[in-house]
Parts: sequence; structure tokens; C-alpha cells
Amino acid sequence: MKTLKRLTALLLVVVMVFSLAACGSKESGGNDSAQTSGPDDSQNVKIGVLVSDVTSAEALAFRAYYEEYIQEQYNVTFMYSDELADAAAEASAIDNFIANNCKAIISFASADRPAQIEQCEQNGVYYAVATGTLTEEQYEQYKGYEHYVGAIGPDLYTEYMAGYNMAKYYLDQGYTKFGMFGGATPYYTEMHIYRAAGMLVAMCEAGNGTYMGANDMGSMIGAIYGAGCQLEPAVIGDVELVGYVAGYDFDDAWFGKLAAVANDPSVEVLLAVGSGQTAFAGFKQANQKLGDIDCYTADSVALMESGTLDYLAGKFSASIGPVFIAVLSAVQGHPIRTEEGNAFAISQGYWVATSAEQAKEYFEVDSSKTEPAYTRAMLDTLYGASYSDLEAFVQKYSFEEIKELAK
Amino acid sequence: MKLGKKLTGTLAIPVITLLAVWLICSSKGVALFETQLNILTFVRAIANVSLVTFALAINLNSGRFDFSVGSVALLSSVISAKIVLALNLGPVAMLLLSIVFGAIFGLISGAVYVSVKLPPIIVSLAIALFYEGLAFALTGGHGVSFANSANLLSFSTIPNLLIIIVIAVLFMVVVFDHTRFGYEYKALQSGQKVAVNTGIKEIPNALICYTIAGAFMGAQGFISATTNGTIQMSLNFGSISPMFMAFLPMFIGGFIGRFSNDKMGYLLGAVTSALISLLYVRLNVSSSVQQIVSALLLVCFLIYLNNEGVIRGLFVRKERAV
Repeated sequence: MKTLKRLTALLLVVVMVFSLAACGSKESGGNDSAQTSGPDDSQNVKIGVLVSDVTSAEALAFRAYYEEYIQEQYNVTFMYSDELADAAAEASAIDNFIANNCKAIISFASADRPAQIEQCEQNGVYYAVATGTLTEEQYEQYKGYEHYVGAIGPDLYTEYMAGYNMAKYYLDQGYTKFGMFGGATPYYTEMHIYRAAGMLVAMCEAGNGTYMGANDMGSMIGAIYGAGCQLEPAVIGDVELVGYVAGYDFDDAWFGKLAAVANDPSVEVLLAVGSGQTAFAGFKQANQKLGDIDCYTADSVALMESGTLDYLAGKFSASIGPVFIAVLSAVQGHPIRTEEGNAFAISQGYWVATSAEQAKEYFEVDSSKTEPAYTRAMLDTLYGASYSDLEAFVQKYSFEEIKELAK
Repeated sequence: MKLGKKLTGTLAIPVITLLAVWLICSSKGVALFETQLNILTFVRAIANVSLVTFALAINLNSGRFDFSVGSVALLSSVISAKIVLALNLGPVAMLLLSIVFGAIFGLISGAVYVSVKLPPIIVSLAIALFYEGLAFALTGGHGVSFANSANLLSFSTIPNLLIIIVIAVLFMVVVFDHTRFGYEYKALQSGQKVAVNTGIKEIPNALICYTIAGAFMGAQGFISATTNGTIQMSLNFGSISPMFMAFLPMFIGGFIGRFSNDKMGYLLGAVTSALISLLYVRLNVSSSVQQIVSALLLVCFLIYLNNEGVIRGLFVRKERAV
């Protein structure tokens, strides 16, 4: 009897030890599931996507990557909003996503990001920003929110450098007379303001001059805002901004202004903060250079092949892959947080092509529906990953670096 | 009406606008027509605005507000551009195709209106959404780019645009002033019930109006596309905006029509509008200022039209007092 009691006690101890061990292993598995399990494809996850633009080449490329690649690879369904014009439309779209059982929302719309974050937090829906970042003040305010996953995209310094590098590319070749398309600068769109500021600072440095009294990043941004975001042609030391057009009026006066800048015989280079192919391609003279910040499309490749366009800093469609996997990871119980337990904010840059061959190579990868820049195999390595791993992965954004990552 | 009064009434607005624009430019040290490009910009604006004004006025004068004109221009230019690029055809083929497709889409728009018998505003909004969606689907949302097609881009020259303007005005004058259709159109305008009782068929007349308006918008879509080398997609009523450029010339045309032919009035309204556009270009006026000025001009003109009697009365009293 005693022996039986001892055996029973021993058995209980063994069962208890194994139970505890099992519990322990379960917990450790949760912390390190990226290497052990990967995304759970057994249940479909609905993700809402907020968009403020549905017709630009960039927006179409992003959508194609999510719907034609990611949705085919993972058990997820993307639910897209209509073209959202304002904060009220964004709030309404989020309500619609929640009513449709979306577990997370990825936002490309920026009319009122704080309101979007608050709404998602209140409703227990994960939220992330794609191809953009919050301002520093906004990040400080919302980084601790449980359902705010984070943001991946070009930060404002990256935007500034995109403009700076493009102008410098031509200045280094000795060009001094520029025409510029300021896109949405007069509408106070930060992305375009920073790109324009980068171009102007590059001109100030090369020409040893100032533009509205400014010659560095901080003072130039201040000067642009001080001028109500209305820029004017000016002599900048040895360099000259001969002509400037902005806005998206698409009326006779707008086309006339673009034609006037492009037909000015002194203009050597046309620079665009975005949509330069739409604005200038029809008016550009054969001897002029055209640089643009946009994305890689069949049309842009054709324009580079014909010599109409010769510098393109473009977002690549798969750049929104990491934010997707971070969102999926959070929805499935493995949120990626910084060491302090906050949401992430990671900057990502552009692919720059200065030749038709480069643009063609980029476009072939970017438009692939089977082997895009970020494949499932690459994204799966980020599932439940540490913040440092995610950051290291995203920051290797150049075409060559991504090719290395894919190996 | 005396010839002098006729001429004064007909030419007053464009001449005063020309003088005002010239004075403003001169005060800034800028020549209004400095280069050939300035003339091209001016003529192109006349062509664009006059075609949209004709298209809008044809139906609006009969009480049919057509919001779908912009979408007809969009869809017809997309289809014609796709055909022309695929078959490597020239700009004349694209212009003709744009006009034909514009007429077809205009006819469809009119057929829907006469079939469903809903208010034209509602029908035209639905049609606009449908045509915008169709254009988006046909191009995969990417629009059409022919920035590399020098052949198509070279069409937009001063002589070519002038030919289009002259043909459009002649067509309007002949069809609406010298044909049975035109007489019936005017009869229906002045009293539909009486006109129908006399045997005029209002449905075929409305269908022809929509078809002609569509053809004009096809031509306008072609000019717009071959000017900048791309056709951008519009959704959610984004195609409606070209319609607004026709309001000022249409009201000016209506005013001038009292002194001469209203079609000539629309053309002179388009000339007035093009002069203002050229002023914006020459002084590089920012888009926000431009929008405010354009809206103010329209509102001021409408205030004048609605209070013409009162304003004239003031001058008459002053003259009597003197």
C-alpha cells in the first residue's frame, strides 16, 4: 500500500513537472514564434485599407501588391475604402471596416491620423501607417497605445533627401537653370514641401546663394511655410530657378503655366516633387532633362527608354510588405514592439534609377506577381520578430540590399 | 436694333476684358502675347472652353443639366487613344474616333434620360459615375500615356485648333439656326407643350442634342489629351470639373446673344475666358488666387445679370438728373 502511495505521489510529481514544463515551453514559444511557427493560415484575417488616392500609379501598384500577391500568399482578405477626401470620410470608413469584422487597419490616408488611431484604439482594432510616418509629437502621444502597431515609410528627412539628391544629381553635372513643379506644396502637403526644400537647398549649396533668405533644411522649411507655401522663381547665387508651377488644377491656365516653364529656352532641367511625368512630359523640350519622384510603371520605363525622363526616385510597391506582416503578427498575438514596449516608427527610402536599364530592372521586380521585391519567404522571417530585426530588414531598402536579403 | 448698339453689345465684354488684361500685364511689365506659345495657350483655351460651352449649353438651354459631359470626354478619349496607339494611327484618326465615340456615349446618355424619365441631373450623375468607372476599368486605372508619341502631341498647333473652332461654330450655327431640327429645338425651348401639340417630337430632338453635345466633348477630350500627353483617370465625379469652366462663357454668351447670335456669344465668352486664363499664365498667378478671382468674376456677372434692371435704372435716373 505504502509502495502504491509512493508510486502515486511520484507519478503526480512527474505529471506536475511535465505540466509545468509544458506550460513553460508554451510561454517561451509565444515569445519566439517567428522561428518556430510562422503566420497562422488556418483562419482568415480581414484587414481594412484606408486610401485617399485610388487612381495614381503608386496607389494602383500598392493595391496590386496586396491584392494580387499578399492575398494569394496568406489567408488574409483586404477590404479597401473608397477614395477618402477628409477626416469624416476616414472615420466613416473605419466604422465600416469594424462592422465588417476587420481585425486591423492599414492606413494610406492622412487627413487625420490621430483620429484614426484613437478610433481604432477605442474599438480594439490594430492600426498601422503604410508609406508614411507620424510627426514626432504624434508618435510621442500614441506610441504606447496597445493597438497602434507602428509606421513604415519615408520620414520627412527622407523626403527632403529625395529632393536634395535629385537636384544635386543635375547640379553635379553642371546644370544651373531649373524649372520646378511643386505638386501639392501650395496645399501644405508636408511630403512635397520637404522634397521642394531639399531641391532648393541643393541649389543654394551649389550656387552659393540663398532662397528667400534660407540655405539649409531648417531655415528653408521655415521660409516655405512663411511664404504660405507659395514659391516663386528666383536667382540663387550662380543657380537659377527660372520657372515654378504647382497645384493640380488641370485647367487651361495650369497647362499654360507648365508649357511656359518647359518652353523657356533657358531652362535646362525640369524637376518635379511628384507627378512630373504627368505635368511636364507632354511639354518638355528634347534638350531638357526631367527628374521626378514617383513610382515605377510601364509608362515611366518607356519614358526613360525614350530619354524623356532621366532620373526617377520611386517607391516600390512591395515596400508595404513589412507593415503588413507586422500587422498580421499583432493580430495573431505576436506584436512587434520596441525595447521600451512602444509602437515602431521606421523610415524607408526610394529606389533611384538614372538609366533606362535600371528602371526596367526595378520595374520587372516591382510589378512581379510571383517574385516581388518582398516575397512571403522574406516577410515570414519578420513574423513575431524583434524590433531590431524588423528595423534592420526595413532599412535595407535599396534594390541591391533587397536582392541580398532575398538570397 | 441699331448696328452700333448690336456691335457694342456683342463686343463690349471681350474688348473690355482684353483692355483690362492688357493693362494689368502692362502694369507688371509683362507682354500679354510675347511669344507664339502665349498665342497657342490662348487659342487652345478658346478651343477647350468653346467646345465644353457648346456641349453644356445645348442641353442646359432646354432645361437639361448634364453632369456627364466631362465623363463623355474622358471615356471617348481613352477608347480612341487606345485604338490609335494599338494600330499606330495618327492624330486625325484619333480626333475622328473621339468625336464618333463621344457622339455614341452622348446618345447613350440621352437614351437613358428619355427612357428612365428621371430628372436629368440625377441621370447625368449616374452616367458620369458609370463612364468614369468604365474608363478606369479599360485602363486598369493607369490612364493612357502617349508622352512618347510625338505624332499625337504635335497636333495641338494654332492652325489646327483654329480649324476645330471654326468648324464647331459653323456646325452650331448651321444645325441650330438653319435646319428643321434647329427650329424644332427652339420651339421646344420656348414652349414644350405647345411645340409637342404642333407635332414636334421632343424625344428624338433631345437624343440629337445629347449626341451633338457628346461629339463636342469627344473633340474636347482629344484636345485635352493631346495637349499634355496623358489621360488621367477620374472617379467619384472627378470628371465633372471641366464643366465648370463653361459657366462664365455660357452666361456671357447668353448676354451677347441678345445683341447677336448666341453661338457667337458662346465663342466670345470662350475668348473672354481664354484671355483671363492667359493673364493667369503670364503673371504666374497661384491656383488659389486664380480660383478666387474666377469665382468672383462669375458671381459679379451673375449679380449684374439678375439686377440688370436696377443697375440700368440707376444710370437712367442719373442721366435724367443731369
